Amino acid sequence: MRKVKDERTKMKDERLKVKGILILFFFTIFNFQFSICHAQSNVNYTVRVGETKENTVLAEFPESYEGKKVNISIEHSALSIQHSDSLDFVFADREIEALGTWGEQVFAYTDEGETEWTVWRSKKEPKNRNQAVKVKNGRDSFEQYLQETLGTRANRGWIWWIFAGVIGAAVLIKSILTIRKRSAEKLLSSVEQETLRRMRMGNRRHYISQAYLWILLLVLYAPIALIVIYSFTDSKILGNWTGFSLELYANLFTGHADAGLNSAILNTVIIALIAAVSSTILGTLAAIGIYNMRARHRKAISFLNSVPMINPDIITGISLFLLFVALGVSQGLATVCIAHVVFCTPYVVLSVLPRLSRMNPNTYEAALDLGATPFQALRKVMLPELWPGMLSGFILALTLSVDDFGVTFFTKGSGGLETLSTFIYSDARKGGLTPELRPLFTIILLVMLTALIVINVRSNKKAKKEQKQ
Amino acid sequence: MSKLIQIFSSRRTWAWPYVVFLVLFVVLPLIIVGVYALTDINGDFTLRNFAKFFSHSAAIQTFLYSVMIAVINTVICLLIGYPAAYIMAQAEFKTPAVMAMLFILPMWINFLLRTVATVELFNMCGLPLGEGALLFGLCYDYLPFMIYPIYNTLQKMDNSLVEAAQDLGASRWQSFWKVIVPLSMPGVYSGIVMVFMPTVSTFAIAELLTHNNIKLFGSLIQDYITTTDLLNYGAVLSLVLLIIIGLTSFFGDHGGSGEEKGGVV
Repeated sequence: MRKVKDERTKMKDERLKVKGILILFFFTIFNFQFSICHAQSNVNYTVRVGETKENTVLAEFPESYEGKKVNISIEHSALSIQHSDSLDFVFADREIEALGTWGEQVFAYTDEGETEWTVWRSKKEPKNRNQAVKVKNGRDSFEQYLQETLGTRANRGWIWWIFAGVIGAAVLIKSILTIRKRSAEKLLSSVEQETLRRMRMGNRRHYISQAYLWILLLVLYAPIALIVIYSFTDSKILGNWTGFSLELYANLFTGHADAGLNSAILNTVIIALIAAVSSTILGTLAAIGIYNMRARHRKAISFLNSVPMINPDIITGISLFLLFVALGVSQGLATVCIAHVVFCTPYVVLSVLPRLSRMNPNTYEAALDLGATPFQALRKVMLPELWPGMLSGFILALTLSVDDFGVTFFTKGSGGLETLSTFIYSDARKGGLTPELRPLFTIILLVMLTALIVINVRSNKKAKKEQKQ
Repeated sequence: MSKLIQIFSSRRTWAWPYVVFLVLFVVLPLIIVGVYALTDINGDFTLRNFAKFFSHSAAIQTFLYSVMIAVINTVICLLIGYPAAYIMAQAEFKTPAVMAMLFILPMWINFLLRTVATVELFNMCGLPLGEGALLFGLCYDYLPFMIYPIYNTLQKMDNSLVEAAQDLGASRWQSFWKVIVPLSMPGVYSGIVMVFMPTVSTFAIAELLTHNNIKLFGSLIQDYITTTDLLNYGAVLSLVLLIIIGLTSFFGDHGGSGEEKGGVV
């Protein structure tokens, strides 16, 4: 009996070894596949024409096309919308001009057959929207062009190798460790082995659930890691490493960054402060008023209060935009501030209300009876009690305002007012990102991380103290 | 003067400024959307805008497609988020607070920047930008909204109920489906609402993630609203979106049992 069991564990060991090797093997194959796919996918770049609705794409044709009639069609490859324009061109010059919308695909047809186009906008001049991009036809020359303009960007197969290497190494180490552990366990009695097996089942569940969370976090943080890593190089393009450099940080702090970015940062801070301060004042007063209302009125106003929270950004933005259009108000900083107060105040109200219900309702009246004016009573009696709720409401309003895009987009008007969000949006639409955004958000992330860690450590300490008492 | 003081010492009046503000900037704008939808460029009453919507098959298709994408995204978020929230809320897990924090932290980085970084990540790995990228990006942006409410309700759940079920002979699986899942439903409902509503109305993310190859309803509204001549038709489209949002929040109110709702922040 004992012998059979030994035999079985031996077989298990063998199987584990084979499993580890198989996994490694499959990862290698998988990788290889991916690098091939990757090499092929370089051809499938979509058109990035520029910011506005109508922009020019200049495309250079091969010499064999000269004098031939070329039919260029521009179409949305979207699933639902298919509005395609066909433009006929007879050209003497090898350059053709066609009108296209941002993100459209261009196909060219000649008598000799069909040529799918890989028209693509250079990321090197993202700001200059009038400069058209010349892209050579044919895969070889296109890839060559890519290599010339972007360096090694086209070949990124190694990312998968690193990914597989890390996972493969982890699997290998893990399986070696288990095999060693199990061979030591053979010396134990069968009963002990059984209990160990049970424990291991529980442990395995624990490990799997932990691994799930960590993998999820890995995926969640991958794009952010990209921003953080590439903030330490001076390359114009996210994803192109040109050596370690702190130049972007220096630019950010010395004001050498893009002028648009600087004013966007300033605008964001101004708007966030105005919106947060006014919504905190308005919201706190409202919360005190609502708390003292009759139940029916309270319900009605609470419902009204929840409307801006339920409404998605686009609806709040559009409805306010239409209001300002209908009233004939010119949109700018003031309208953006009003819009931000609209969606910030409900959160302030909701963070102040719980503090009110914890307060002794009679202290305010007592202060009035003792001869305080309402303002004095508010300042000396109520504010000290409401302070924490107001502060959290203020911080929440600040965050919401800084992070907002949808509402700002519709209420900023056409006067060139940009906040960080709208700046990033128009930047991304042009096909590139201002490089100084990378260090900026790295810093924001670090500040937030430290703040959260400090808060967490403090609350942990508090909890421990309370436990001791 | 003394009368003024009297008015202000009654604390009910302190809410008045906010009530006026709400009526001016929340109720009135929504009414104006309706007014614009029912008028033409000259301001005359017309139903033509609505008629245009029902005969505009591209718009209806985009609308249905957006709803479908939003439903798929909500389901994906639920399938990924529920296990994560469940694991975090388990008592055996040592650092739930830190984990919850780590899931919330990405939200502090501007979502457009995160989206652009996602696009770059896809480019780097040689993956094509399309529907897959769109779903990945949407799920990536809204997953915390699903995890957090579910985590909140699961954490507040009375664990002795699960133990009681197991004492009464329920298997792990049974106690999960019959006790834990029903008890976490309020969190699930608010998670669904919080993911579905922004997804169905999203307008910039889809544009960036697919290089404008896939158009969602939000982008369509944006296109019409920003074109002066088509503003009235854009208002109709906004009304359609508003109806969907209303229905969803109705579902959220009736699905979750009032006070037990979990919320972000």
